[in-house]
Amino acid sequence: MSGNNANRRLKFEIFRYNPQDPDSTPHMQNFEIDELPYMSLFMALNEIREKHDPSLQFDFACRSAICGSCGMMVNGKPSLGCRTQTSDLPELIRLHPLPVFKLVGDLSVDTGIWFREMAEKSEAWIHAKEAFDPAAQEDRMDDETAQKIYDSDRCIECGCCVASCGVANVSGEFAGPAGLNRMARFSMDPRDTRDDADWFELISNEHGVFGCIGMMACHDICPKELPLLEVYAYLRRKALTTALK
Amino acid sequence: MIVRISSTDVLVIGGGLAGERCAIEAAAAGHDVLILSLVPPRRSHSCAAQGGMQAALGNCVKAEGDSPDVHYLDTVRGSDWGADQEVARIFAEEAPIAVRELAHFGVPWTRVKGGPNSYFIRGERVEINEALENDGLIMHRDFGGTAKWRACYAGAGTGHSALYAVDSEVVRLGVTVRDRAEAVELIHENGRCYGAVSRCLRTGQHSAILAKATVIATGGHGRIYGQYTTNATINEGMGAAIALNTGVVPLGNMEAVQFHPTALSPSGILVTEGCRGDGGFLLDKELNRFMVEAEPEKQELASRDVVSRHMARRMRDGHGVETEHGPHLWLDIRHLGEEHLKTKLREVWDICQDFVGLNPATDLIPVRPTQHYSMGGVRVNKEGEAYNLAGLVAVGEASCWDMHGFNRLGGNSLAETIVSGRLIGRHIAKTIRTGGVDIDTRVANEAVKNAEERAARLLAAEGPGPGAYEIRDAMAEVMISRVGIFRTGEELALAVNELKELLAKCDKIVLRSKVPGMNPELTFALRIKNMVRLSLITAMGAFARTESRGAHFRSDHPLRDDAKWLNRTLIRWPESSDAPGISYEPVGVLDVPPGHRGYGRDERIEMEQSIEDYNQGVEQAQSEQGKLPTEGQQ
Amino acid sequence: MKTTGAIDTAKRQLVYEVISGGTGLILALFMWGHMMFVGSILIGTFGFDWLALQLEIYFIAQPTVVVIFSLFLVHAALAARKIPAQLEERRKMIRLGRDLKSQAHEESLLWIWQVRTGMIVLVLGSFHLVLLGIDVLTPLFGERVGIESVTSLARVQAGLWLPYAVLLICVEFHASIGLYRLAVKWGVFSSLGRKTLRRIESFILWLFLGLGAVILLVLAGVIPPPLAFLATGGAA
Ligand SMILES: Cc1cc2nc3c(=O)[nH]c(=O)nc-3n(C[C@H](O)[C@H](O)[C@H](O)COP(=O)(O)OP(=O)(O)OC[C@H]3O[C@@H](n4cnc5c(N)ncnc54)[C@H](O)[C@@H]3O)c2cc1C
Ligand code: HEM
Ligand code: HEM
Ligand code: SF4
Ligand code: F3S
Ligand code: FES
Repeated sequence: MSGNNANRRLKFEIFRYNPQDPDSTPHMQNFEIDELPYMSLFMALNEIREKHDPSLQFDFACRSAICGSCGMMVNGKPSLGCRTQTSDLPELIRLHPLPVFKLVGDLSVDTGIWFREMAEKSEAWIHAKEAFDPAAQEDRMDDETAQKIYDSDRCIECGCCVASCGVANVSGEFAGPAGLNRMARFSMDPRDTRDDADWFELISNEHGVFGCIGMMACHDICPKELPLLEVYAYLRRKALTTALK
Repeated sequence: MIVRISSTDVLVIGGGLAGERCAIEAAAAGHDVLILSLVPPRRSHSCAAQGGMQAALGNCVKAEGDSPDVHYLDTVRGSDWGADQEVARIFAEEAPIAVRELAHFGVPWTRVKGGPNSYFIRGERVEINEALENDGLIMHRDFGGTAKWRACYAGAGTGHSALYAVDSEVVRLGVTVRDRAEAVELIHENGRCYGAVSRCLRTGQHSAILAKATVIATGGHGRIYGQYTTNATINEGMGAAIALNTGVVPLGNMEAVQFHPTALSPSGILVTEGCRGDGGFLLDKELNRFMVEAEPEKQELASRDVVSRHMARRMRDGHGVETEHGPHLWLDIRHLGEEHLKTKLREVWDICQDFVGLNPATDLIPVRPTQHYSMGGVRVNKEGEAYNLAGLVAVGEASCWDMHGFNRLGGNSLAETIVSGRLIGRHIAKTIRTGGVDIDTRVANEAVKNAEERAARLLAAEGPGPGAYEIRDAMAEVMISRVGIFRTGEELALAVNELKELLAKCDKIVLRSKVPGMNPELTFALRIKNMVRLSLITAMGAFARTESRGAHFRSDHPLRDDAKWLNRTLIRWPESSDAPGISYEPVGVLDVPPGHRGYGRDERIEMEQSIEDYNQGVEQAQSEQGKLPTEGQQ
Repeated sequence: MKTTGAIDTAKRQLVYEVISGGTGLILALFMWGHMMFVGSILIGTFGFDWLALQLEIYFIAQPTVVVIFSLFLVHAALAARKIPAQLEERRKMIRLGRDLKSQAHEESLLWIWQVRTGMIVLVLGSFHLVLLGIDVLTPLFGERVGIESVTSLARVQAGLWLPYAVLLICVEFHASIGLYRLAVKWGVFSSLGRKTLRRIESFILWLFLGLGAVILLVLAGVIPPPLAFLATGGAA
């Protein structure tokens, strides 16, 4: 966190591969830059691109840890590039694209398509009772419920949890941590009319919560600190109570 | 070369709140809709909005007596009478509906807790009993420049939750989204727009998308200020630019640029106005609450332009905390307590921890005013239709629908995106013509070829020449130092000249990387000329406007001048001309006569014309400027 | 959207999950009991033989062997579903687990070890169970049908101490981390927090490893029964 250990010379090893270029093969490329105070990987990578290799591909948008664009493997750990301060890292920084997602090039991967498919599969939207009535006052909801939904809604779909999960890495069908979190988010929303049986079908299988074998990396890695493990426990118990009913 | 052409009924360029809300309306009406976006829609910059969304629901005690009328008045005052008051009226009336609809789409709005609640108001802790009968309704928080608590919010992630809810509707309706795609040129002929040329950001390939209606919803263009902005790196204004590049569509009020008082120093990352709304203070180097003296009435919660200027002055007068990155002031939210910070201002908590490594419950936050919002954009009429080009529509921050005039109120722009998206989307759905797109594919082919040639030329250029990033840095320095919070004729003239030089340089750019496919340097180089063009017209508009209104402050003309400048700047850049042309139109029919805003300076040059005379001239003057007649209204 | 087929699948999956976790839980609890039972040797052969006899007279031992062996196999079969079939996939998981371990996250790699120890337990445990099954149900070993300290001591001292030591380490590790995972997965005791659960887990692990080691040393004849003084009046 501290921005004070400047004067280091940072060594980057960055994964390079441009699928659009027939001459390109996957390899690691080395760069060296001087560390600056409060330097984030957002700043470092832009400097590398602007001063050393303008062909380097990576994704940033908000640069404030809120849009979820910049997930990448930083020394083996899925992290948000914009949030990662170089002062928290050793001198040698290895960067890889997130696994699981389709590679666009270098550090850039297609998370958007993965998340859209996940949303479609789990029908991640409010299944409303009736059409919106513009003349009516809003339905009430107590603030605790709203807060609970919001806690789950905070996921920024960065894909770090998915990349960190052993199961998601080997099974394309698994909804993944973020997917399970989405299901939980809608299942606890009183505005969603899907009943227990609907949820049971979605949750209770090896693509759902029983795909999770409790590796717990997702929870430890989530940059938004979502309580993912509590979410799975909630889903498991929901599946069990539904079946017992 | 084969040109890829596809077609759709409605092409929406931009997957932020405005674009998606608009797309939903058209798709729900059964039209075929295609959304283009630089990033997956949920990563659009709308997701970064934290504080809230204005809508006069009047649900809590401090919002009692609120109504669309009061909201409307606040908006007009906030705009420093630069807004189109008719639009502001429509907006204020529709905002409650649009916000409630978001609840229907799933936004977990923070709710009223009936019974005793403890708030911070003007620096003091206050106990307020919320009516039990309001328990569970949508809660409000205080924001700058408003008479009532009106901002509806979901923690400090309002934009995030709203965008996710709206996008989940887009998914539900099965609307096609093409992400990592950039609209680089509009396809148009004889005063009609037929779609756009899209560049795929995975492969670098161009294709044409033909549409009966084309919507620009590309958000703000804060990045013309380089790193001195709260905006995302993708807010480069390409939507406004491609409209400008048609040569016929004017951009409105580009000189109206908002600076937000509390961006982190030095990164420029925003800390929401909700911090001050919830009771936070601004402190100077000596830890004085200078805003109490400067604005006894509204204190920290005067409008953004006013607060930003007070801050800038304070720092200029030597009361800023000096650092190697320049001076800053402090935001103090320690007294709100950890519990409040971790729930109602959770995103602020995170940002402080992550980006400056401090704990807002015990530490002061270093802040300074930073470019934040573009009031200017593609000038459109009430129905969202661009001037002079049928079939082209603009919504959201990219547009100048003009409810914000010269200063937008906090929370009004999220509300604008969904209100205008909803209304204008509906208008498109109603007025769109049936049958195929009637266009000679030659026009589309040509547009694609144009775009391809531009890219090829850049790739082919060899030898010494300026780099695209160099030009960007130079542009940013000009903008922040000469077209910033305080402006003078002298500085602005210099800015115009310097930007012209930079523009000339853009044609000499030489790329260092020639890799095929998605070449990031090429992608940026293709944008930089457009960005310099936007910068230039911003500086020109500011130079020409010899008054101070809202966020546009001329130290050499410090008064608002309603006699001469109660109007909107329109800038067009005719094709084949190397200089843009400026013209003006009345702001719109006046309902609230120009007056004092209730904060800031109460001195101005009064109107000479009578309101009646002014209003009578509006319709004709705007029509002359190219406001399109509204087709197909029942 | 609702289809009976899908509901049936969901039900089946739930049953599998409950059974694999449930058998794991029962087996782990059984191992605690097992430790108490075999631990009677700490008092001396008298205690051990007396207990063994009681368990047989009241027909507890015989069905237990059968039931535990079945649970053991069911658990192994169901749990094995979660192990990736392909070598490449397993390698991927291992690599990921190692990288994360170096970033202060352990549980991923521990899962890999849980699988590995599970495999060892499957082999050695099956052997042990067959052996004890024969002992309990047939007169093949010792002087009578059933467990006696003489045969046990002889077996262990003849060399079985080595596989038992391996089995002990593997099963204790596997079961303690399994219980921890089970608690986290279903949110039991979640109010304690994960850190505390982890601490309890390692406490259990070391406690039973230590106890098991002492027992094994006694069985192997390396040390005398440390609690022999408790058996006053006994024939030890
Ligand atoms: C940090 C921050 C905090 C804010 N907080 C608040 C707040 O609390 N309350 C409030 O009312 N307002 C707030 N605002 C303002 C508000 O968030 C924005 O004005 C609003 O979200 C803009 O929405 P939009 O849909 O117009 O554009 P955006 O959300 O910016 O979306 C633009 C879209 O256009 C796409 N795009 C851009 N160019 C192209 C192209 N050439 N081709 C294809 N696609 C393109 C992008 O990919 C993106 O999908 C905040 C703004 C910022 C920067
Ligand atoms: C006495 C013997 C055993 C005991 C006490 C035991 C105990 C446990 C426990 C408590 C769990 C946690 C269950 C869960 O998280 O759902 C578990 C999981 C597991 N066990 Fe065992 N087990 C034993 C034998 C075996 C054997 C022989 C195998 C063979 C491969 C095995 C493989 C596994 C695997 C792979 C898991 C993880 C399953 C998952 O995460 O879903 N175990 N075991
Ligand atoms: C009902 C079934 C079981 C019975 C009756 C039983 C009985 C015994 C007995 C009598 C001993 C003493 C040594 C011997 O006689 O060989 C022993 C030791 C041991 N058993 Fe079992 N056992 C059973 C199941 C298991 C299972 C399922 C496991 C683990 C997978 C296990 C692991 C061990 C170990 C590790 C020892 C060594 C002693 C120690 O260090 O604690 N046993 N068991
Ligand atoms: S759950 Fe966390 S890690 Fe996973 S996608 Fe959401 S924010 Fe990212
Ligand atoms: S890492 Fe994967 S296995 Fe479960 S606990 Fe997280 S989803
Ligand atoms: S750039 Fe938005 S999360 Fe990192």
